[in-house]
Amino acid sequence: MTHYRVSADIGGTFTDFVVMEDNAHIYTGKVLTTPENPALGVLKGLTQLVPNLQEIEFLVHGTTVGLNAFLERRGSRVLLVMTEGVGDAYTIARGDRKELYALQYRKPQLLVERRAVHEVRGRVKWDGAILEPLHEEDFAPIVEAVRSEGFPAVAVCFLHSYAYPEHELRAREILASALPGISITLSHEIAREWREYERASSAVMNAYIAPIVERYLVSLEEQVRARGVDVTLHVMQSSGGVMTVDAARRQPVYTLLSGPVGGTVGCIALSQVTGRPNLIGVDMGGTSFDVSLVVDGRPEITSETQLEGLPLLMSVVNIRTIGAGGGSLAWLEAGAMRVGPQSAGAVPGPVCYGQGGTAPTVTDANLFLKRLGAQSLLGGRMTLDEAATAAAIHTMAAQVNLDDVAFAEGMLAITNAKMADAIRTITVEQGIDPRQFGLVAFGGAGPMHAVWLARELNIGEVIVPRFPGTFSAWGMLQTDVRHDLTRNYYFPVAGVDRTGIEGVFMELHAEGARALEAEQVAAGDMYFVRSADMRYVGQEYTVNVGVAEQLDVADVEQAFHAAHNTRYGHATPGAPVEFVNLRVAALGRLARKESRFRPQSSGSSEQTAHRLAVFDGVARKTPVLWRDDIPLGAVWQGPLVVEEDSATTIIPPGYSMRLDEWGNLIIHAD
Amino acid sequence: MAAKPGDIDPITTEIIRNAFIAIAQDMNATLIRSAYTPIIYEGKDCSVALLDEDGNVLGQSAGLPLFLGNLEICVKLTAEMYGWEVFQPGDVFYMNDAYMTGTHLNDSTIFAPIFSRGTRVGFAATRAHWLDVGAKDPGGSMDSHEIYQEGVRWAPTRIYEGGKPRKDIIDLLRRNSRFGYGLVGDMNAQVAACRTGEVRFQSVLDRFGHETVAAARDEIFRQSEQLEREAVLAIADGSYNAEGYLDNDGLGSPPVKVRVRVDIVGDQMTVDLDGSAAQTYGPVNCGFAQTISAVRVAFKLLVNPKRPVDGGTFRTLTVQAPEGSIFRATEPAACQWYFSSLGLLIDLIPRALASVLPQKVASAHYGDSMVIYVAGVDPRKGNAPYLAVEPTTGGWGAYHDGDGQDALINNVNGGFKDLPVEVYENKYPVVLRRYGLRTDTGGAGRTRGGTGIYREYHLDAPATIYLWFERSVTPAWGLFGGKQAVPPDVIINPGRADERHMLKVNALALKVGDVIRTQTGGGGGYGSPWERDPQRVRADVVDGYISRAGAERDYGVVLDETLAIDVARSEALRAAMQAAA
Repeated sequence: MTHYRVSADIGGTFTDFVVMEDNAHIYTGKVLTTPENPALGVLKGLTQLVPNLQEIEFLVHGTTVGLNAFLERRGSRVLLVMTEGVGDAYTIARGDRKELYALQYRKPQLLVERRAVHEVRGRVKWDGAILEPLHEEDFAPIVEAVRSEGFPAVAVCFLHSYAYPEHELRAREILASALPGISITLSHEIAREWREYERASSAVMNAYIAPIVERYLVSLEEQVRARGVDVTLHVMQSSGGVMTVDAARRQPVYTLLSGPVGGTVGCIALSQVTGRPNLIGVDMGGTSFDVSLVVDGRPEITSETQLEGLPLLMSVVNIRTIGAGGGSLAWLEAGAMRVGPQSAGAVPGPVCYGQGGTAPTVTDANLFLKRLGAQSLLGGRMTLDEAATAAAIHTMAAQVNLDDVAFAEGMLAITNAKMADAIRTITVEQGIDPRQFGLVAFGGAGPMHAVWLARELNIGEVIVPRFPGTFSAWGMLQTDVRHDLTRNYYFPVAGVDRTGIEGVFMELHAEGARALEAEQVAAGDMYFVRSADMRYVGQEYTVNVGVAEQLDVADVEQAFHAAHNTRYGHATPGAPVEFVNLRVAALGRLARKESRFRPQSSGSSEQTAHRLAVFDGVARKTPVLWRDDIPLGAVWQGPLVVEEDSATTIIPPGYSMRLDEWGNLIIHAD
Repeated sequence: MAAKPGDIDPITTEIIRNAFIAIAQDMNATLIRSAYTPIIYEGKDCSVALLDEDGNVLGQSAGLPLFLGNLEICVKLTAEMYGWEVFQPGDVFYMNDAYMTGTHLNDSTIFAPIFSRGTRVGFAATRAHWLDVGAKDPGGSMDSHEIYQEGVRWAPTRIYEGGKPRKDIIDLLRRNSRFGYGLVGDMNAQVAACRTGEVRFQSVLDRFGHETVAAARDEIFRQSEQLEREAVLAIADGSYNAEGYLDNDGLGSPPVKVRVRVDIVGDQMTVDLDGSAAQTYGPVNCGFAQTISAVRVAFKLLVNPKRPVDGGTFRTLTVQAPEGSIFRATEPAACQWYFSSLGLLIDLIPRALASVLPQKVASAHYGDSMVIYVAGVDPRKGNAPYLAVEPTTGGWGAYHDGDGQDALINNVNGGFKDLPVEVYENKYPVVLRRYGLRTDTGGAGRTRGGTGIYREYHLDAPATIYLWFERSVTPAWGLFGGKQAVPPDVIINPGRADERHMLKVNALALKVGDVIRTQTGGGGGYGSPWERDPQRVRADVVDGYISRAGAERDYGVVLDETLAIDVARSEALRAAMQAAA
């Protein structure tokens, strides 16, 4: 019997699949996403790619169901319950402006109107003292409002519930018994951290997407079960770990950024497999350019993020998005030539797609310079309109007195420089030197630009992984089950009660073990990572510091100074330090094996295909290799084009490429 | 660097333009990353710029809106004092003189000339708020009346010479601060940011060569200037006026007048502040450099707001203010609260230009930072002393196609966030019992002004409070028939026998159980209230932004108990309102 491990990354247009057969042979596939019920696309792909669905032993998927429901504002109507006196904290949303120069500024659009925020008497103080008991009679009008106005979901956020959740728990009892079938989210169960607006916002987001994600997950599970798949379904989390469908149904908000993090997880796996500790991952698609870092083999995970200006307190792999992609448009003003950030988007898309686009995009420039071939996209199932692209470029080039080739190369030079500038700023912020990193390029357009980015940043090595177009899906097969647990613990480090801290960690540990157990992780496969959010007294923001199982407060304090030094460039040993939160990541190892690449080609393939690609104004006869035909080990000199179904890699003159034993393209300057 | 026009292609120009912007961002990232005090790395009370060899802006990154383009002046003033040959390789200069830099003494400018192969090719410049520069009170004062009370004043002074720190000067800085350790840390962060700018600029020079970079600069400036000329030319010629008043100078003066005349002649805009108050005894004065910055903020709000700033920007703008006025203060005027006058000035310029830019302006916002300090000792933490400093949000002005925003930080601040109730209560012995939107405070209009807020502090321990609330004399005005907003009000012990109202106070001692209720104003309305769609008025009542009574009084929309619109009575009421107008 064959064993299959399968991942599915449900994107906006395509659902990507990676299938690992008997932990050795890997192949990929792609089907159109079925937005009305994404489960159908998943099933279709599984049926096409796996001969016998009963032989699937592990199935993980990344879903954008929740994210799309949010982005398109199609989520459930939510009624929000808050503490009497501060219900407006949600509507006020902390009062900051995200643009400095805007007289007609608009705040991010919230998910709950002010009229749907209800207050309940019951006030807990900072230390748990009850200033006013919970007035249970205050729920009667709320129950009435949910019934009469038909709210499918309720979120509850009471002051100080991160430490004292009793009132929220009682609220659920009252609401659940009066309103069977209504989705109820308690803020402390989503985010056990202080800051009432951020916690309320996180709870509201969970409530907003819960019914839709629930329907989707139930449908998917039923349908794969009906086809004989008899394993626990896993879902990718924003934190870079996976969880079971059952856990995802309870906390759907954790799946929100389920898709894009796959790429970062892939970079970590790549880092471990190939022994490269420091990587900059760049995922360039049609409209955006995502950058993520792997430093010392670890991803950058933050405990807070924002979506369209709305804060979310949850563990998230830090991915920074820059408005540059294949669809970035060239435009002119005051005699100047600009590229992006405006994008032609999916519609009309680049001129060469023939869907009505008239202004040249970065993809058009690549096509015009024959770096991209007219048949390169989607394995030749889509032919690009070279004549239309040439006309569009000629029209705009003439307006700035440039010849067409110079204009097209100029568009790419401007875009590459902007992307490199953005990556450089990120490295300055993080206090790291890009020269000590490798650049991993994936996504449809990343491998076309990677060498130029590396050149601008003085990065010595570019890695184009196997299956760059489905790299996120590949990454999902490389991860662990993960649960993040947090407790607020606001104490000065000096004179801290060691047993108190230990007690909290043990509690989180036990909670995490229970969650993993519920996901059928065997005790031997569990491991736990402890950390603490700390800061100097007087600071507002915190630095996350790893904490050893054998707690030594002095070590932790030392580690904080060191982490502060790395993050901010200085430390103040001797200055008072305080704890803010204690965290435990509970992880469950999933069985997997490294897969070495087995070259399919005999290594004797005669290269016959060529294109006249342009580099530095000169059209050169450039070999076009099909990636699957490249033999292991041989070194190829640029100029060179490597094509495969989902991506095109360009190796310009002055660079050489080889295939490593895992199937990655490794590119260096000569 | 001399450049011949036309000897550069648009591709190189654009790459260099983006590089200038990125260099400023990298300098900013360096400063934020390595600063010691939260006011810089969290409050973003800082700015950086890369300048050319004559002090013109190549790229800049401002943390606060008010720090727009106020660094080049420091280089130019230094050259005016000592000549351009004063700048030598390895030098770093420090200055904070309020009459030169324009802001208060806490704002510390540090800049370094950049040399390449022996020639001066540019400057890297930074400004950051230092926590304490030796004022009579910690951090700064609310009641100063002479600059000498606000800290130590520095004209341009070398802190590095020939690449080496001047230990004696740095020691003098350190000794004159209550937080000398952090001061030196912040100074080093600024020097590091200058170094980042220098290294990054050098790499651009190495790649493209001086002549090409100079040609690109000239072309970039030309592009920016052309885009602004086109925008200003589109504004009808004329002379446009507006005026308003600060409540007082902080030390009990009569209202302080701010008067603005904007002249548009072709593609030139002149903002003349003649007629504004003479410099005051209290600390609401500022140096001319910062007045220019504030006018630039207002200009930027109206002209190409999304475009980055460079040396070609603001060439169409001239600012004039009489010597010895609050906007061009001279020694020994106190400057600690300089931004109150500037916040009003920034609001008045759109008001003056409203008739010719009706789609671009907004009615006035609530106006000032509305600061409350609560100070004392915390009995929960062994009587450790604490000082809680908070600006407060309020309503913003309505505009042609949108309501003003509720509860938003004021125009001279930007990324500031209110302190969460949960965090405040953990840090300080105070219960924030109520925090919410103040119904009926936004100015009525076809589009509604945003509402102000209330915030209630219940003291669990004795405390001393300081208040700086403003704009009761000139509350946020409306435009085109829109109504003015409700002004701010602070109440001590509301509803009790000892209830008191006040807006500014220095060191008021309060006891356990006392309550401070701060209330900020709303923003002005835009267009006649009776033109507002009754359904939107009703929606505002359902959401609680206005009351039923307010809907009837301010908008002429009558709602019954079920909040259904009484069409007949509403129409009659609206007709009467219109007739009376």
